[in-house]
Amino acid sequence: MMSPTPAGPRGRRRRYVHRPRPAIVVALLLVVVVLAAGLAAPVSGQRRWVVAFANVTEEPGVTLEGTGFTGPEIRESFTLAARPYPMDLVFYDNHRDDTRAVANAEDAIARKVDLYVQYHRGPDANAAVGEKLKAARIPVLAVNYPVPGAPLYTIDNVAAGRVAGEALAAFATRTWPGQPMVAVVIGRVSAAADRVPERVRGATEALRDRLPAARVTALDTQGNPAQVAPLLGAFLSAHPSRKVLIAATDDSTTLAAKAAVESAGRVRDAAIVGHGVDRTIHGGMNDKKEIDPTNRNSIVIGSVAFYLDRLGYEVLPLAVRMLRGEPVPSRIVTAHKLITAANVFIEYPPYDMN
Amino acid sequence: MMARRALVTAAVVLTILSLASTALAQTDCTKLVPPSPWGPNDQTGATNRVTPAVTKAAAAEIQTGKITTMSYPLTDGVPLFGTRFTKTILTAVSLAPGASFGENELTYMEDTWLSQSHVGTHLDGMGHIGRKDCYYNQTPMGKFINQNNMTKLGLEHLKSFATRGVFIDAVRVFQQGGKFKGNSACKKPCLDKGTVITSADIQAGLRMYNVTLREGDIVIIHTGWGDLFEQFPAQNAVYNSGAPGIGKDAANWLVSQKVVAVGTDTWVVEVIPGENPKEAFIVHNILLTDNGIHILENVRTDLMAAEAASSRRATFFFNMTVPKAVGLTGNFVAIDAIQ
Repeated sequence: MMSPTPAGPRGRRRRYVHRPRPAIVVALLLVVVVLAAGLAAPVSGQRRWVVAFANVTEEPGVTLEGTGFTGPEIRESFTLAARPYPMDLVFYDNHRDDTRAVANAEDAIARKVDLYVQYHRGPDANAAVGEKLKAARIPVLAVNYPVPGAPLYTIDNVAAGRVAGEALAAFATRTWPGQPMVAVVIGRVSAAADRVPERVRGATEALRDRLPAARVTALDTQGNPAQVAPLLGAFLSAHPSRKVLIAATDDSTTLAAKAAVESAGRVRDAAIVGHGVDRTIHGGMNDKKEIDPTNRNSIVIGSVAFYLDRLGYEVLPLAVRMLRGEPVPSRIVTAHKLITAANVFIEYPPYDMN
Repeated sequence: MMARRALVTAAVVLTILSLASTALAQTDCTKLVPPSPWGPNDQTGATNRVTPAVTKAAAAEIQTGKITTMSYPLTDGVPLFGTRFTKTILTAVSLAPGASFGENELTYMEDTWLSQSHVGTHLDGMGHIGRKDCYYNQTPMGKFINQNNMTKLGLEHLKSFATRGVFIDAVRVFQQGGKFKGNSACKKPCLDKGTVITSADIQAGLRMYNVTLREGDIVIIHTGWGDLFEQFPAQNAVYNSGAPGIGKDAANWLVSQKVVAVGTDTWVVEVIPGENPKEAFIVHNILLTDNGIHILENVRTDLMAAEAASSRRATFFFNMTVPKAVGLTGNFVAIDAIQ
């Protein structure tokens, strides 16, 4: 604050003299301190966070969580989702290996990252990673598999299965009221490591709740889509006069099931809902897509979205909240949604024009 | 008499019902699209800003007379968006023996050009992009289309583009900012697809050449991605797989600067994949639908980047004409930068 000095008795020109007052000096110092702290915070753009993401695997061709999504797709989603934030990403590949997972965390500690996102199945390794990072005072965010003491973002297989079962039941009630029907859940139904049995349970429970008269059968392809045709073909032959509701555990099984139904000449008797919504089923602008606004009469009603290709967009906002010291829930689940010909372009607007 | 009265009544009821159903089917465009600042009848959009004063001021940019092309060759095989196509067929029948005319043996040739309008270096008009059936200036486009064209917002309503062009070298901005990430398919430096160009980047590009935007300018941004276009057809798939480009923040800032058009050396101007995976080509909505600001795609920028770097001048007279193509949503254009 500047204050004018009164004119002297001889009419000398006014001189402006700096007369600091203690309270004002303290206030100014506080302002400087606050501003400096603000500038140092990452939100100001002056300091960038370093966030590590340890992916479960980036091995080409390996699909994750019983869906068609791959590790590189998940990594790419983190790269894209990080763009608005003052954030640099460090990527690790856990290679589905406990030793590697722990070594990756140790490397991140040495790098002094600000936050660690851990996507790994092994509970022992996750516990060790959690302990090491806690000792280093680096917050952890777990993806799909818990790390003790860390918030968990995860897909919800039971909920996804319920969405599929309810969609099939709603279709059957609307389209085939009073007609005899059976239901089948087909795919890698026993793949416990990928928690597919939870998906099967959700679908089965929803079908039984909504259609108590319909018997639900599980057919295990053990991950081999070539097994869909013989298994489903036999099932269709055994139920020649019934409508058949098919919950496929993933999109490749969905497409194989559709082919099997067509081969059996039972298109009028079947409806299919899949899980995942990977690119094999929604594709790009010019791909031939099963779920497409111009293909509304398909017996594939839709597929339940797992959004693993958008995992980064779900996880990084949580990471930012943690970095800002804001609370996050201990468990956050994917909002699974049925993707159909009516909403696929809303949920997955095509942008790659090849 | 009774029958006549019944017929009239039925006709009235049917008319009311049909009007009601039509009304229900239409979107209330006042809720989806802002009104034009140039009034409810405006079909011209941002070229309203190209006033005689703006053109006269832009003419001052012509100092040496040097012309730098900003168009790519329009030929079969260049990258095309989606299912678009272009095909030329030459008619040369008069070259056949005995087919020439008169004692002077005149011959002639001409072309049939089968092409969609949004190919090559091209302009997006206001009828190109909307929200639902609502287009620029709250136009309920469903009422204004027929089998052949639009009856509103066609290119014939545009004014001149004779204004100042301002060049932003985003490649250099990112290089100097230490955040350049390229793509190995480019032979010359290019920003990788998915790279978001922000308003801060554009302003850094303006500072690089000591330029301040004026109302009525056209902004051209060099991303380097056009290098893949030049390699056609070898890199068409890469070119179309995404693009570096402006994000929403940059688009809104350019709107606030009251520009006439924004162009880049990509097929889309905006960043792809977009910032929000659930939004589709949102910058197109911001510029075209909401503000009548034109988009110029597949602009050749590498020559101007070199010229600006050597001459230290990033402004020029923007020379581009758009045909008065009635009811069209866009068209290919040729652009020259005159300095």
